[in-house]
Amino acid sequence: MANSAEPTALLSHLHRTDGSATFSQNGYTVIGAVNGPIEVQRRDELPEEAAIDVNIRPAAGVGGTRERHLESILQSTLRQIILITNFPRTLIQVTLQITSTPENDTAGSKLVQASSNLAILPALLQTAILTLLSASIPLAVTMTSVLLALNSNGKSRTTLKAPTIVQFQAADSVHVLAFTSQGELLVAESEGIFTLEDWDEVYETAKALCCDESAGEAIMQDEEENKGSLMGFVKSTLEEKVAKDLHWKD
Amino acid sequence: MASAAPQSTLSFPRETFAKLSPHPYLLAHLQPTSDSSIPTRANGRVATQFRTPHINNGSLTHAEGSAVVRIGDTTVVCGIRAEILLANNVAGYRVDKSSTAPSSKVGYNEAKELDLLVPNIELATGCSPAFMPGQPPSTLAQSLSTRIYSLLHSSGLVDGEDLRIWYQPPDLSDQDKMEEEDEEDVPEPEVKAFWTLYIDILFISLDGNPFDAAWAGVISALKNVRLPKAYWDPDREMILCEDSVAQSKKLQLRGLPIAVTSLVFKAKEQKQAKVQKCWILVDPDTFEEGLCEESVTVVIDCGSGKTKMLGISKAGGTTIGMLEMKGIVSLAEKRWVELSDLLDR
Repeated sequence: MANSAEPTALLSHLHRTDGSATFSQNGYTVIGAVNGPIEVQRRDELPEEAAIDVNIRPAAGVGGTRERHLESILQSTLRQIILITNFPRTLIQVTLQITSTPENDTAGSKLVQASSNLAILPALLQTAILTLLSASIPLAVTMTSVLLALNSNGKSRTTLKAPTIVQFQAADSVHVLAFTSQGELLVAESEGIFTLEDWDEVYETAKALCCDESAGEAIMQDEEENKGSLMGFVKSTLEEKVAKDLHWKD
Repeated sequence: MASAAPQSTLSFPRETFAKLSPHPYLLAHLQPTSDSSIPTRANGRVATQFRTPHINNGSLTHAEGSAVVRIGDTTVVCGIRAEILLANNVAGYRVDKSSTAPSSKVGYNEAKELDLLVPNIELATGCSPAFMPGQPPSTLAQSLSTRIYSLLHSSGLVDGEDLRIWYQPPDLSDQDKMEEEDEEDVPEPEVKAFWTLYIDILFISLDGNPFDAAWAGVISALKNVRLPKAYWDPDREMILCEDSVAQSKKLQLRGLPIAVTSLVFKAKEQKQAKVQKCWILVDPDTFEEGLCEESVTVVIDCGSGKTKMLGISKAGGTTIGMLEMKGIVSLAEKRWVELSDLLDR
């Protein structure tokens, strides 16, 4: 598969789960499946809300500490999105299987912990949200997420959208930001060396990339930019699916 | 008051109230009914107040470097052991400096590729009732290990040069020849081995905010590390270390990053309420961690006069935006001054 920066998605292709999606972007492909609300084990049961269980499986080998860390980020994020109070004493189980990662040019790189945790995070978040949408689990908001690499030499800063592995490793700092459909910052993970001003710029860039509605008139007029916004991508993917599902009506 | 007497039969002591309904308990502290009392947290601190840190270095005699960090009731012991990794034991390690060697690639990090820094966090020491001794590592322990690992590498704290053990092969060519073609024949120094640092972090007491304490422990222990002078003995073909302390050397750390974690406490337990009052609580304890969902950790270094950020990690809510982040960073700057003072001692 070409390492295209453009996201592609496939919805509801696994028939034995309540919802499923495959999402690929920037060389990463993730298959997601969700089951829920289902019965919960007694010890995990929460009296007033649904328990969320996230399982991440790496492309090769078994999950390690890195996967546990990503799972805990996803779990706390999904708890904000899913209307968990609607399903007390149940479990919503999200399973994410990473199927491909971009090839690492650096020879001799290790398989496990080969690169930082951050590169895969947007793909995981995006797959999780598409999976939940495919399962029609009630959500408070949807969310979009981007990976940005920042190179800063003195005054001038360059932000790279969807950096390749080499760009990612060479960058001064890398940032993952996720915004809700209402334009609120939900997840922010940054690594590397930067300043608060750098981060503010990254925030603005990421917000413009994520949400089209809140990005203002300037971007709305620019058709190309509008098309590239991730919220637009989620919407068009769902529109396509709804149109396909309601095909029998025509 | 006359009505006070019947009410007293229905009121609880503080501890019972805290156990029965923790959320209103903390809220009642942050939102006092009378104007005269200052809003504080249940632990008596104001929202922006940190716990007093205590740091003790070098208490473990068998470790190359160690530190005990105590922040409130959270206590961490961090010990660093150094081991030698022979370069010829590294699969596919090449000493050549040609452009095809992996070490010449942009962004190549030797410490990361060879796993020269190995942090591990142990929570199952009986430090808190939530983590039973003898259990496999909990999700929190694994997550913390990963965060320490990636922060160690992304901050570039340890200089890769400090971990290399060089060997200068003697010049065996005879002296006359040397004078004619002096530079070409001098054998290049080669890396014979690497130091591997095993960074073990043990929590002996946990009362919230494990990451800040663990990171402070790592920094303090790394500053305390003294590596003995190691050299390659060509006759025995092995690495030998000098005994004398005078010849040992400290690590040159790049900067002094400090982690500061804050939580967001919301007035209403219902998440979907549109506008709600919230407080940013710095340096939370276990009681507060159980009541808050959104957490932000910033890692900053103000060493060079200008505030440098080395990491942001935020998840679990939507309260923190650009403005709130500025406030948190300025709080972190104050904390940096306090902690760096202790760490530099």
